[in-house]
Amino acid sequence: MKTLKTGLVFFPAFDWSISPTHPEREERLLYTRDQLFEEGIMDLPEIEEFAPRLALKKDVARVHFCVPQVDYQVLKAHLIAAGASILLGEKVYRKEIKNGFALVRPPGHHAMRVVHGNRGFCNINNEAIVVEYLRHHYGIKKIAIIDTDVHHGDGTQDIFYHDPDVLYISFHQDGRTIFPGTGFIPELGGPTAFARTLNIPLPLGTTDEELHFILDQLILPVVQEFKPDFIINSAGQDNHYTDPLGSICMTARGYASLNEKLKPDLAVLEGGYAIETALPYVNMAIILAMAGQDYSYVQEPQPPQIRKSTKRFNEIKEIVTQLKDIWRNKDKINLNQIFGSEEYFQRKKSIYYDTDGFHEEQVERVKRCKECPGYITIDSKAVHSWRDSVKVFCITLPITACSSCQNEAYENYSDARNNRRYDYVYIQDKVKDVFISYNRKTKQELYLED
Amino acid sequence: MLIGIDVGGTCTDAVLLRKDKVLAKAKVPTGEDLLGSLMKALDKIMEGVQPAEIKRVVFSTTIITNLIAEKKYEKVAVMIIPGPGISHEKYNFKTETVIVDGAVDYRGREIIKLNEQEIKEKLFLLEQKGYHKLAVVGKFSNRNNLHENQIETLVRGLYPDWQVVLGHRVGGKLNLPRRVVNAYYTCATQEKYSKFINSVEEALIKRGIGADAYILKADGGTLPLRASEKVPVETIFSGPAASTLGVQALVPPGQTAVVVDIGGTTTDLALILSGEPLLSSKGVQVDELLTQVRGLSVRSIPVGGDTAVELSEGRILITGKRKGFPYCQGGPCPTPTDALRVLNLIDLGDRDLAVKGISTLGLNCSPQKAAEQIIDEVVKIIVTEIQRMFLEWEQEPAYRIWELLQKRSVRPDIVAGVGGGAIGLVEHIARELNCKKLLPAHAEVANAIGAAVARPTVQLSLRADTERQVFTVEETGYQGKLNNTKFSEKDALDLANEWLNRQAKSLGVLCEIGEVEIIRQEVFNMVRGWHTTGRIFDVVLQTKRGILQYVEQGGSK
Repeated sequence: MKTLKTGLVFFPAFDWSISPTHPEREERLLYTRDQLFEEGIMDLPEIEEFAPRLALKKDVARVHFCVPQVDYQVLKAHLIAAGASILLGEKVYRKEIKNGFALVRPPGHHAMRVVHGNRGFCNINNEAIVVEYLRHHYGIKKIAIIDTDVHHGDGTQDIFYHDPDVLYISFHQDGRTIFPGTGFIPELGGPTAFARTLNIPLPLGTTDEELHFILDQLILPVVQEFKPDFIINSAGQDNHYTDPLGSICMTARGYASLNEKLKPDLAVLEGGYAIETALPYVNMAIILAMAGQDYSYVQEPQPPQIRKSTKRFNEIKEIVTQLKDIWRNKDKINLNQIFGSEEYFQRKKSIYYDTDGFHEEQVERVKRCKECPGYITIDSKAVHSWRDSVKVFCITLPITACSSCQNEAYENYSDARNNRRYDYVYIQDKVKDVFISYNRKTKQELYLED
Repeated sequence: MLIGIDVGGTCTDAVLLRKDKVLAKAKVPTGEDLLGSLMKALDKIMEGVQPAEIKRVVFSTTIITNLIAEKKYEKVAVMIIPGPGISHEKYNFKTETVIVDGAVDYRGREIIKLNEQEIKEKLFLLEQKGYHKLAVVGKFSNRNNLHENQIETLVRGLYPDWQVVLGHRVGGKLNLPRRVVNAYYTCATQEKYSKFINSVEEALIKRGIGADAYILKADGGTLPLRASEKVPVETIFSGPAASTLGVQALVPPGQTAVVVDIGGTTTDLALILSGEPLLSSKGVQVDELLTQVRGLSVRSIPVGGDTAVELSEGRILITGKRKGFPYCQGGPCPTPTDALRVLNLIDLGDRDLAVKGISTLGLNCSPQKAAEQIIDEVVKIIVTEIQRMFLEWEQEPAYRIWELLQKRSVRPDIVAGVGGGAIGLVEHIARELNCKKLLPAHAEVANAIGAAVARPTVQLSLRADTERQVFTVEETGYQGKLNNTKFSEKDALDLANEWLNRQAKSLGVLCEIGEVEIIRQEVFNMVRGWHTTGRIFDVVLQTKRGILQYVEQGGSK
């Protein structure tokens, strides 16, 4: 049998930035390009480079409620990054490549289900778009997303919080010391997907050794038990010891061996802003690891200052023990005690859009259905200081929704259409792959076609 | 008047052009003695012409290709300074490879110093093994050549008679392994190539031709004979480049065409997109090794007029192998040429023999029908490959949003056929691809025409780093200081222009460069904290590519 290659899409988007001095700017992958090209990585027989393609608006709408429309929140650059991720995900699923790494900008893991603007340099969630694409086109069922970015992937967590078929595990610097300030142990998923979200907040200075302890003791066994059909590494590289935004001490080789053990089908680049001291080395090490190559010669010019700390290690052991307990007992736990026994579980969220500087207030309701994961409604209001608030109502039907949930969801949609509170009303019907938005002012209903 | 001479593996072709007319053409078999064949062809077209009328002579030659293919060179050792990165076990250059300590990073900063003692010891071992040719290449030596120069100085001191080639002077693009191969082949072929150049020059003098002499490169550009001595590997694959340029000169300007060169054993394909031949995005491959040599995107498929045709499970099979001449010329088995003969599409060999040959296949139909089936099969193989070439071109990676968005599907307008088998096949291929067919006049010497009309090309890639106040020139390996803290984008362009002119002057083509195009112009900020501390300017300039002139169809001596 022909040995399959590791697929790469390298799309540095040298002509896209948030602003000239913003960490997310044109030259973010410049030195990575220099390193990859100088090493001759694209010439290796184990590697194949692909040109990206653009995601369709519908691919975006399958995940996000973009306010007011997809076009308004999404630039070509976003469609390319998402499209590249889809391309590789699809090629892996069709067994045309062994695995894939989408080295793309802009990133996406802070983009939540409702998108009023840019958060944490993200507008749309590349990984979530791949998941919904593969589910729709290939009926793939269980997916694990391991988020290795120094920041909590609050967007990905938000999108899959009530989804029992997606296991979301994120390790990240403790949210008390870094954006976005979330990702604590008690955030475990909603009543229909309890413990399918696992957060591992890391104490400052966590080293490779400690991370691999977490990986070996917790992440890998959980993934193995979950038996995903597809594994995605949401590959942020800002846990590196030189990253200007984070305070964790991972090395390039630490990242490589993580990928060697995790064996993701797809890795999608997220953050990582040490564009000279970390990215060239980390990206290359990950590529080599995914392609089954020796990465022991990869070495950053300045070695890390590793400080051992028993206190830190004990803290980490405690986190691992706690999460292992939760995982082991997830089916025995009385969920009513945590979530109440109402038919609709409701939570309120206040979301800050750091890049654009405004707040969103959300009320999310989940139908606790016995037949399916249940549909979700979101009542969302973006509060701008500089223009009128925008109020929207969103309904999402999971791909496995039962018929009674489907009926209820559409009833909700027509009620909301008549409710003067809302500027826009949306329904995301993943069962039929139909995405409709309603503009109350113009009374126009739009079916997303492409 | 212009002269073009293509010294191919089988034939040496020559043409004499006056303005857009072919005045004379010649085709002589290429013998062991390349120079001899070259002179013979030259003499044929020069009959009755005063040498002083000749303005320019351009050669395309297989000499380097043959040297490499037949390994007719002394052994060369490779010394690499790879530093951290991919495993050193990955380096396989099919020759003695020595790895030494030291490292430079992507900005050209030295991160690990050389260890002189180690280098001396390794050089000594190479001497013991009988080496006296050495290619020295460092990772990122295109950004800082310090280590390569230091090693050269060491070698010069210890072994003054050694031949040393440094990576940054023969391959300035990013890609260490390919740069190694460039340096290796340069070192291997330089001596013999120089001898060849000398004798060509001598021959021209003997015939009284004082015109400028050039050699064609793989990318379809020309280099003055003398200047090519520094980079002999650039002349590899000048044959296919010549044939593509030749067709370009023979098809209407601005069209998108596929050049289908159907020979005996292979068919070579090349693309002319909107009037310009397509360059391969990466360097060409030479004897299984990847180089940084820019070449036209040419694909060779193992199907030609002499390819053996067999029957496999009741179906026609084009084997891809040549077993000898076509049946109609006394060969052992039926071939596409026999099929063409049966259908009276060509006039070659004995038609009765061709019919007999086709009948040996034992197909349950008339020889006529069988011949049609064979042609269909051959056309299918060629058409599939052409479509694949277009598709691959479309799918080449892009690194900028505008680049990706401007990509569009392009399909050929014209199928231009050259070579022996072209006459019978091109019409079918064109029909399949829904284009016009073209069998240009003088196609049999298209290679020589291509050489005659090829333009010199000069490219210059400048990279300036204002934080470090340094700049590098990819093509020459030059490294300089900026001494200007206010260095702007315009300064970068001016500097690149200045270096392009300097480069053109040193190549002896300053008067011919004409219009200069900006291929790339980019600025990257260097930010520390939230402040811009410097900029990287990336500028690539190129003289207008293409041909000097189109050639009129018809009318020859």
